[in-house]
Amino acid sequence: MQIQLFDLKKTKHLEKIFLSAIIMLLWKLFFPTEDNLVYLLIGESFVVATFYFSYLYFKDFLQNKRLNSLTLVLNAGILASVIFFIFIALEPILSLITNSIPIGFFSSVEKIILSFLLLILSAYIFTILRTLFFLKQKRSPRFYFNIMLVFIAITSFYSNVLVFAEGTDYIFNALLVVTIILIVINSIRIPWIAFLSKKEKLYLLGISVALAILFSVLSSYSTPHGANEFLATFSPTLKTFLGILMIYGAIFFGIVFFITLFHLPTADAFDRKALEVSSLMNMSKLITQVFDMKELADTVTDITTQVCNSDSAWLALKENGNLTLVSAKNIGYIEADRMIKNLNYMIDLNAIKNVSVFSNDESPDVMPEGYCYLAISPLKVHNQIKGYLMTGRKFDNVFDEDEQKAINSFADYSAIAIENSKLLAESLEKERLEKELELARDVQYKILPHQTPQVECIDISALFIPAFEVGGDYYDFFKIGENKIGFIIADVSGKGISAAFIMAEVKGIFGSLSKMIISPREVLIKANEILKESLDKRSFVTAVYGFIDVTEGTVHLSRGGHSPILLVRDGFVQQLKPGGIGLGLNYSSTFTGSIEEIQIKMKEDDILVFFTDGIPEAKNADDEEYGQERFERVILNNRNEDTGTISKHIIQEVTTFAQGYPQHDDITLVIFKWKKNKNLGEV
Amino acid sequence: MADFKVSFHENGNVVILALAGTLDLHTTPELEKAFTQLINAKKYNVVVNFEDLAYISSAGLGVFMAYIETMRDNNGDIKFSNMSSKIYNIFDLLGFPLLYEFYKEEKEAVQKFSESN
Repeated sequence: MQIQLFDLKKTKHLEKIFLSAIIMLLWKLFFPTEDNLVYLLIGESFVVATFYFSYLYFKDFLQNKRLNSLTLVLNAGILASVIFFIFIALEPILSLITNSIPIGFFSSVEKIILSFLLLILSAYIFTILRTLFFLKQKRSPRFYFNIMLVFIAITSFYSNVLVFAEGTDYIFNALLVVTIILIVINSIRIPWIAFLSKKEKLYLLGISVALAILFSVLSSYSTPHGANEFLATFSPTLKTFLGILMIYGAIFFGIVFFITLFHLPTADAFDRKALEVSSLMNMSKLITQVFDMKELADTVTDITTQVCNSDSAWLALKENGNLTLVSAKNIGYIEADRMIKNLNYMIDLNAIKNVSVFSNDESPDVMPEGYCYLAISPLKVHNQIKGYLMTGRKFDNVFDEDEQKAINSFADYSAIAIENSKLLAESLEKERLEKELELARDVQYKILPHQTPQVECIDISALFIPAFEVGGDYYDFFKIGENKIGFIIADVSGKGISAAFIMAEVKGIFGSLSKMIISPREVLIKANEILKESLDKRSFVTAVYGFIDVTEGTVHLSRGGHSPILLVRDGFVQQLKPGGIGLGLNYSSTFTGSIEEIQIKMKEDDILVFFTDGIPEAKNADDEEYGQERFERVILNNRNEDTGTISKHIIQEVTTFAQGYPQHDDITLVIFKWKKNKNLGEV
Repeated sequence: MADFKVSFHENGNVVILALAGTLDLHTTPELEKAFTQLINAKKYNVVVNFEDLAYISSAGLGVFMAYIETMRDNNGDIKFSNMSSKIYNIFDLLGFPLLYEFYKEEKEAVQKFSESN
């Protein structure tokens, strides 16, 4: 939208130029007279209008292009050359025009077209000079510039008066002198030169001297009987203005030449400072973008050699207490590595807290061969040294304060980058762990049975709620023959993928053992033996294994280190805790001896509850455990419901209790309830 | 996250490790470090005082399992003392009392070492 508006404005300027130019040209064509003051003034006002509109157009044009100072200077040079070309190459024609009396129509047209061309050229040069003047000015010098403009205008216009009021040359001269003084004053401050690089300054030096000479020559053409005399018949104002403009150009570029000359000795220092600033900016960008430490280190050593004027630079990082070379610039890896080892041996690197410089004269044994000066800066993060940035100089010139500061800041940036990449690696590791947990969770779900067995006289429900971190809960049912159902509930110690693997193994072990061995005790003992191969020293599995004899109405079970089994009978909860060590704790006869087996004759409405410690150990926000008591109470309160409802109530209560506290362990709950059956015992 | 602390003191040729806080997956490395130090110093007679321990997870239990063999192979042992009933219950369910010695007081456990030597 804004661009469109801008373009509209520009086109309007262009239209105005055309309009005023056509009126001006027509006027000049039909009233070429210079005798009549009124005609002359009308003509001059058209010239001024055309000039003004051209200026507005070029100003927008330059602002839009955002040309840099050197391009502007070059543009001014090209335009000046064009004017020069007009004056020199067309001189024969020009003199013809000037001297042809009476004025013919064609010579008149030629004169007008050339004048118009000069008018446009001078407007463009003026715009360029004005832009150069305002470039990088800190305080607005508009006031002085405007005073200068006023004097230029008055002086230019006074040339009209001269035509009619002869003998007032001294006024004109006085005005000219004031104008020139103002031009000089306004040309002294040219701040943009300082910002050029040394190469650009040299370039500017050449161009400005050429331009100063060119403009001087051109200004000499504007003397009363100079080559552009023909302009006077077109517009005295324009002729004088062009002359002043040429003087302005000569003065301006002359001053540019001298200022550039004065800036040359410090150009190197300025360049280095500019490089340092831009390098630091680049590095701060790199830090957030580059996660490859090697790439960043290479950038650091590269920049260090450039900014610090050194012959080589290398960067070593501390890894497990040893210094490891990460990047070397202009020096062989082996050589740099040997140097670091030597330094580490010769001096206490830990004592270097800030950038330090070593010289060949003072400490030759520290100095690498061929080097005169060596600067070392530690990479510090939270007052810990993470590594060193070193740079060496082969010629005899000590690192000055600025260079030392630069080395220091590069080291600081590297330190931040190292910290960043470390944090990133940590977050990647975390992501990897989360992926692993997800995978483990998948395994766990696949291992658990998809449905509970359907038995006529027993109501069975099983429920599993995973914790955020995968625990190792596992439960399963096995069909044994026609009338028996094996069951297991187990908890593998540890979490994540390793627990999931053990769980899968436990499933395989019990699945096959249940088919071969009837006695739950024997199954646990055999399972312990097998697990010895895969459990590490600090892992164990707690389990309750048993089977239901549907025909007999009995349950046979053994416990290996697992939470007790709850038997609800006649309105009481009984904890069944047959002896038994957890699987994986011991592989000797102690284990075998510890495992007991119990047999329970079931009655109608008897409930057996198997669970993992996720239920009693569920915690609330006050770090209080849900506990066995609450658990048993909720079972009792719901003992007349079916098993699905009982487990629903238990889970509801546990989750309500633990609200606001993350579930830290899996919850598994398996409930059996005996319905009326002819085979049930009658106690 | 709950804190965990291990402090050492020696009584004759027995080192007493006093545990405080929560011993879970996140804090076990500290206890492991303590045991590694003891083994490096060839101190194999260890009494673990549980008086100030608030919670122990299965990962915490695993630490004792990991080091008991080394201690016993070197004629030493890890004995437990001053357990709250809640913590003891966890050890008991797992069957630890069949494999480790538990004492009410730290002194008794230390004394047991001198008797057996």
